[in-house]
Amino acid sequence: MTDKPKENKLLEYWNAFATLVKRHPHVQYLIFGLVLVLFGYLSSVGVLPSYYNSVFAYIIIFTIVALGLNLLLGFSGLISLASSSFIGVGALGTGVFLNLGLPFEIAALLAIVSAAIIGSLIGLLSSKISGIYLAISTLFIAEILRQIFTSLEMFGGERLDIGTVELLGFLELSRNSRAQRFYLFAIMAIVMAVMMMVTYNIIKSRSGRAFMGISRSENSAAAMGISPLKYRVMAFTIATIFAAVAGVLYALYYQNAPTRQWGLLQSLTIIAIVVVGGFKSIYGMFLGAFIIHGLSELFLKELLGDVSYIFSGILLIVVILFYPKGVAHIWVDIRKLYYKFKYRNKEKDVIKDET
Amino acid sequence: MKHDDYVLKLDNVTMRFGGLTAVNGLSFSIKPKEIVGLIGPNGAGKTTIFNCVTQFYDTYEGAISFKNDEGSVNLKDHKVTEVIDLGIARTFQNIELVPDLSVLDNIMIGAHNTFKTGVVQHIFRTPKAKAEEKAIREKAVEALKFMHIDHLKDQFAGGQPYGVQKKIEIARTLMSNPKLIILDEPAAGLNDNETDELEALIHRIRDEYGASILLIEHDMGFVMEICDRVCAINFGQFLAMDTPKKIQNHPDVQEAYLGKEE
Amino acid sequence: MDNFLSILFNSLQTGSVYALAALAIVLIFRTSKTTNFAQGSIGTLNAYVGALVLSSWGWSIWAVAPVSILTAFLTGVLIDTFIIRPAAKVNRIAKQIITLGLIMIITGITPFLFGVDPYQLPRFIPSGSVDVLGASLRFNTVFTVLISLVLMGAIFWFIQKTKWGLAIRVTASNEVTSKLMGVPTKTVTMMSWATAAMLGTLAALIIAPSGSVNPNMMFNVQVSAFFAGVFGGFQTFYGPVLAAFIIAFARNTTAFYVTDIWGDVLVYMVILVFLFFKPYGIFGKAPVKKV
Repeated sequence: MTDKPKENKLLEYWNAFATLVKRHPHVQYLIFGLVLVLFGYLSSVGVLPSYYNSVFAYIIIFTIVALGLNLLLGFSGLISLASSSFIGVGALGTGVFLNLGLPFEIAALLAIVSAAIIGSLIGLLSSKISGIYLAISTLFIAEILRQIFTSLEMFGGERLDIGTVELLGFLELSRNSRAQRFYLFAIMAIVMAVMMMVTYNIIKSRSGRAFMGISRSENSAAAMGISPLKYRVMAFTIATIFAAVAGVLYALYYQNAPTRQWGLLQSLTIIAIVVVGGFKSIYGMFLGAFIIHGLSELFLKELLGDVSYIFSGILLIVVILFYPKGVAHIWVDIRKLYYKFKYRNKEKDVIKDET
Repeated sequence: MKHDDYVLKLDNVTMRFGGLTAVNGLSFSIKPKEIVGLIGPNGAGKTTIFNCVTQFYDTYEGAISFKNDEGSVNLKDHKVTEVIDLGIARTFQNIELVPDLSVLDNIMIGAHNTFKTGVVQHIFRTPKAKAEEKAIREKAVEALKFMHIDHLKDQFAGGQPYGVQKKIEIARTLMSNPKLIILDEPAAGLNDNETDELEALIHRIRDEYGASILLIEHDMGFVMEICDRVCAINFGQFLAMDTPKKIQNHPDVQEAYLGKEE
Repeated sequence: MDNFLSILFNSLQTGSVYALAALAIVLIFRTSKTTNFAQGSIGTLNAYVGALVLSSWGWSIWAVAPVSILTAFLTGVLIDTFIIRPAAKVNRIAKQIITLGLIMIITGITPFLFGVDPYQLPRFIPSGSVDVLGASLRFNTVFTVLISLVLMGAIFWFIQKTKWGLAIRVTASNEVTSKLMGVPTKTVTMMSWATAAMLGTLAALIIAPSGSVNPNMMFNVQVSAFFAGVFGGFQTFYGPVLAAFIIAFARNTTAFYVTDIWGDVLVYMVILVFLFFKPYGIFGKAPVKKV
């Protein structure tokens, strides 16, 4: 912002605002969340179709899990085939603790803590088992959790009903009321923005650099005092916490928790979101969730039927083979191309001047 | 030479890989603020010694002691990740940087062990965490200026030329306030100008950071120019340790490099 | 005694199914340096093809099986040509993710091709059994175990004794060098995928009669085959096959003496604990750390 606006006060404010946004990514995430809230409002008052609301609710859930998985896949070079299972831990855990008569906030916290404990155990496992063996072991974990969800009576067999949720001890929200459902949606959008900020804070810190150190060059990381064990446990714990938060939001918004949904295929969908959205990108996770889940739910389903798995699978493979940086990188490449083009044109101008 | 005036002391160190003895009963020591070169033909066990000192290999026999301000420690009592806390930093023969982090961030990883704040403080960006991050960022810029590569600080490390990547690795060792810096072939792949610049820089590191330096190098001109003393080994065995001039004329060393005269 | 014997007979059959799948996984691991998570899905897809042929044209299982095996061969060749070969340069985890993408594609495509209702496939030998010390041993079990063993024996012989087998082994140990030495590594890799697909399909055809042809029919086989690979070590061809029979026996025993559901959970727990202490299997060695 070098040129000073003189005539217009409004422009001055706008410029100050633009600088603020540019300097502070946190503000960007907050604005992003608020735009989503507005979007939810429009769809709840009928300007946009109302089913957009529930599609975007699921996109938000996927975005949060993908942010966590990205810390593993993109930053720490670790793979997990159990991310969907941990959404289940979050959702079903919240339900079970609510059934015990605990307030929602405590139930959610306990569900997240339980997931984090299991996550740290996987992290411990990953210190011994790395590379391609790790995927296989997380598959076992997912299978164990699936058996537990579907077999234990306290999870209610097919699904665990939660019903109206009471927040902060007085705010009752039911998904059956259109207005209240919008409030639930707004809470999710804001939580997503907060999780984006948390991700940003982690990756721009000593911990984020350590995650990249252990995955890109484990030897030098060790020589600089970065313990692979500690950071693998940390990465897995954080990733499961993200998934469990998404699960809590699931319980909050849908007000029930199914038991059979948290299997391998949904974990694969989340992997596809991270890959398609772009390793190491924050907005990319939302973009990926929108492309993988949103496009097939909003458009493809009507045209072609349920092609979401085929669509995600093909996209996943195509992106890995031909554009491994992910869709979020496209605008960087476009900008590069633009500058290249501009530069070339200028060069031509120079030549013209000389002749 | 006073016997206990050392920074690093190897005492009868032996390292075996299965049936192969890579290092055999090696003893030598490095004095404070000394630049020591470790030379020997390919496969002599030079990098193995580095890996024993930094505890990447912890199955060696014999003792490796290190002396810092708090006194003398047996390195074997420490894990590979603790060695840097004692005051030993190293570079690698094959460059080990994080290619998709900026040059500056790569340098900041070198100060990993000096951080006091943890991940929870980072998540909430506490004032303490912010202040610490800022201080270390400034220190990293200093290290980059010292190595004359501060203009590259915001570029990715992966795209830099070989010579610059070598410099990044050396700058990274400066971040942990080391007493001993171990350089594995710092001049390999550099052109003559870069090698001359590196000579000056290594001397300045010794003078301004007060660190001892142990290095492996095949460029004999470089070793002769820069080192206070040179330790020559062959097939994992000690040949001689002396000033560069004397090593150059040492019969055992000449034999190791040129073969025995008939 | 009769209980023990029926568990043993059962384990021989499931063991040979696991072994076929494990051998397929190891074959691909050795030549393409990735764990093929889509192994089970490929088998399922071709079992569906067989079931469709059987139900629409009324062929016998003896005529259907070759059709399935043939389409499996084609599936393997297609996957290698269009997906695996172009992915030669991507890293190991990305390669794994590609095979995960294959699962999604195959799972997504089956309802379009074959509908949502499960199919039934008959046994190769529909009836008849012999009584061994009070336990009944089906002729079908004898047949499937024999054919699996003969097939695996043939593959071992092929890998150890023939020129092509040598090509597989050298490709497995170092692909770049092999290529420089004139070994047709492309053909070797393609044939590995084709063979693996055929082995997986055979496993699916053997396991199908005890349940149905459905999208999840190979899940347990796949998981057990992976465990066999890990337990026996991916570095050898025989280790995983041996391990497959061990795990089949362990599974059947826990399923019989413990409960069905928690037996599986127990087995997985044991696997994880085992992996923690012996991450590279009983026969495998940890790779040497190069600094």
